[in-house]
Amino acid sequence: MEIEQLEIRDFLGQCSPLTKLDEKLLDQVVNTLEISYQRRGSEILKPGETNDRLFLIRTGAVEIFDQDGNRYSHLEEGDWFGYRSLLHDGEIRMQAKAIEDTLLYLVPGELFLSLFQQHEAVRNYFSHQKPERLRSAIEEIRKKNQAPLIGSHAADLVHREPLQVEQKTTIHEAAKLMKERTVTSMLVVQEGKLKGIVTDRAFCTKLAANKMDFDQPVTDIMTPDPITITPETSGSEALLMMARHNIRHLPVVSSGKVMGMLTATDIIRHQSHTPIYLINEIHRAVDMESLQKLSAQIPATLVSLVRNSLTAYDIAHAISAIGEAITQRLLTFAEQALGKPPIPYAWIVAGSLARNEQTIHSDQDNALILSDDFIEEEHDEYFKRLSKSVSDGLNACGYIYCPGDVMATNKKWRQPLSVWRGYFDTWIHRPEQKALMYSSIFFDLRCVYGEKSLLENLRQEVLQKSKGNTIFLAYMAANALQFHPPLGLFKRFVLEKGGTEEKALNMKKRGVIPITDLARVFALAAGVDALNTQDRLEAACNAGECSQSGKADLLDAYEFISTVRLEHQAAQIERGEDADNFVPPELLSSLERRHLKDAFEVVRILQDAMETRYQAGQLK
Amino acid sequence: MFFRKSSPEKIRRSLLTQVKESPFKQFLESPLPDRDQKIIDTEFLALDFETTGLDEKNDAILTMGYTVIKKGRVQLKHNAHQVIKINKEIPEKSIVIHKITHDRVDQGEHLHTVMESLLKKIAGRVLLVHFARIERGFLNAACEQIYGHKIPAYYVDTFEIERRRLQNIQPEVAPNLLRLFNIRERYSLPRYHAHSALEDAIATAELFLAQATHGSNLNAPVKQYLI
Repeated sequence: MEIEQLEIRDFLGQCSPLTKLDEKLLDQVVNTLEISYQRRGSEILKPGETNDRLFLIRTGAVEIFDQDGNRYSHLEEGDWFGYRSLLHDGEIRMQAKAIEDTLLYLVPGELFLSLFQQHEAVRNYFSHQKPERLRSAIEEIRKKNQAPLIGSHAADLVHREPLQVEQKTTIHEAAKLMKERTVTSMLVVQEGKLKGIVTDRAFCTKLAANKMDFDQPVTDIMTPDPITITPETSGSEALLMMARHNIRHLPVVSSGKVMGMLTATDIIRHQSHTPIYLINEIHRAVDMESLQKLSAQIPATLVSLVRNSLTAYDIAHAISAIGEAITQRLLTFAEQALGKPPIPYAWIVAGSLARNEQTIHSDQDNALILSDDFIEEEHDEYFKRLSKSVSDGLNACGYIYCPGDVMATNKKWRQPLSVWRGYFDTWIHRPEQKALMYSSIFFDLRCVYGEKSLLENLRQEVLQKSKGNTIFLAYMAANALQFHPPLGLFKRFVLEKGGTEEKALNMKKRGVIPITDLARVFALAAGVDALNTQDRLEAACNAGECSQSGKADLLDAYEFISTVRLEHQAAQIERGEDADNFVPPELLSSLERRHLKDAFEVVRILQDAMETRYQAGQLK
Repeated sequence: MFFRKSSPEKIRRSLLTQVKESPFKQFLESPLPDRDQKIIDTEFLALDFETTGLDEKNDAILTMGYTVIKKGRVQLKHNAHQVIKINKEIPEKSIVIHKITHDRVDQGEHLHTVMESLLKKIAGRVLLVHFARIERGFLNAACEQIYGHKIPAYYVDTFEIERRRLQNIQPEVAPNLLRLFNIRERYSLPRYHAHSALEDAIATAELFLAQATHGSNLNAPVKQYLI
């Protein structure tokens, strides 16, 4: 029987990085392979001894422990170990222990080293630690989705009908038409045939510069026989032509007939900048009805952002900016209806919107900080009505009422600054259970409308008090450790019932939130006022509150988990379903599953570290 | 009268003085492994035959596969798989099971060639099989046919190890529980789908390592498993 038929070979051939080796090399690995069986609890690699094999787990599980006896990693089927010692002259530094009955495949050290030297794929795979593997996985996803412009055609990008005029049209008439139609260019045609193009720039460079008479025909200022493209021209090609010729308008012509006009703006719009247009429209909306319609475009916007391979960070910022714009617009509506506010106030958003981390419509969390000039009998009626109007408006736009009643309509969260100061004093100095419930919401606050200084001063005070306050931080850390990544025993996924009956990974509660919570504790401990999880990790790291490597790993894990979540939501929206946070693992590729496990593992390790650092264990 | 069965090692020594120069004699020149040595110091030849039937007198070996355990590890570099040329009709049933066609059997090696190289592999090693009756029966039949003598060797039978183990727990052991792949599952060994002599030999070798590790450890003397 030929070696190719062995199942062992099939298995090896599916294990990265052997997948990248040619058949002959794979045969060489199989031919020199050894198989070993290790009972649960047995020590496979002992620090201080020498190792001359590369190990691959066929079945079972192995854990690696560092010099201090801390668990360094958990490995299972398809995972390799022993390569670190092989790359250090065989010197074993970390202990490897079977934690299940385990069948191992052993590759001779010399063969591994020669493959390592000769094959970049092997080198890349084994010189990268798990977190780095995750980093390259993120880049892979980006690459996979990239270059949407290349795939697009001029015909898909064209925004609207071009303005077309006859040759006899005067310059004055042409300018009037351009103003009415709010366009920056027009085409001059004769019997459907393109003769030339007039752009707004011509009025400056030709008409004004040459002191021309604007009753002259438009042909005097047009650029004759302009550069054109066909409907099939790709978006990227069109962009290149614009750059090369320093122009911003390309007539689209098919068999001599004008089909449309592609502008630089059309391309920019296609380049995932749709939120900017949406936000612009929101600020121009005049009533609730139009605001609701615009809000309904959020899911489609999310899909376009995801499909254009923006980072999760950018996507969340864009979607949050839309939420922010809607809130601001609702407040201007309310002020128009109720009149000027009697005293200064700050409209505060809390939670994911404050952190700029919204992906889809979520609950509304908001509050009002009023100036200390507040006199309840005189002023509260105004703010009560203002709150109700905004809150109802948000609800109508899809940001449903907060189930926990954290809204400015709740009197408790509509208070003057001095009262808020008291709230925070209590939360920080007497951090009991109830306070913890609010902690995740009220330590993430942002003012989106009104008198910003009201919140700014408060936040500075809060950060002064939280920084280095060990008891408070211990409580916050304990709170942050409530939700663990969905990894069970032997690194299997822990599934929960989602919206449907199917069990799935809860990517919000067990994916994103644990990282958000970690970042908040780091930020409060360091006294930095960043709100966004990624910004917080950067700032806390700069302040020395978390390690450089811990930060980098956590950022990658966050980006990867967020990307998986966003891709899932975009796919749901495209299928016409409501987007949720429950990802069935069977919809992920085996590679994605592996990377997701890596990401969750990073979170778990950082959670363990946090527990130790802030002694949160005592409070559990 | 009370007969004590001669040990294979004694038989080997006595045969060595009787047989004339042949591959068989060369085989007899290496002593059998020491019964008192540790498992980890013992070399095993894990062997599997596919045959046309269960009766070694009337049936023939179709294919054989083997691999080696050395220092407590299966060493795939010793893998071999051979198809044997036979004159007998192959029953349709074994064609179906083993996926060996008449053509391939015609292309195989002659039994005496295969036996010659197999003897070299067995020398100094313990034979490791699953359900010894078949391999031992066919091996002895082949040797008797070619060299006139049965082959003196120690065997380890994973089937027997498991039967004994289960008998301690329950008096009646359903035969199905002792099938190679069912036992492997109980030791969390991977499921192999292919059915070939080499794959079965490797599967048997892995199983023995698992059984020996669970029974005690690889530093225990090998004699407790020898039959």
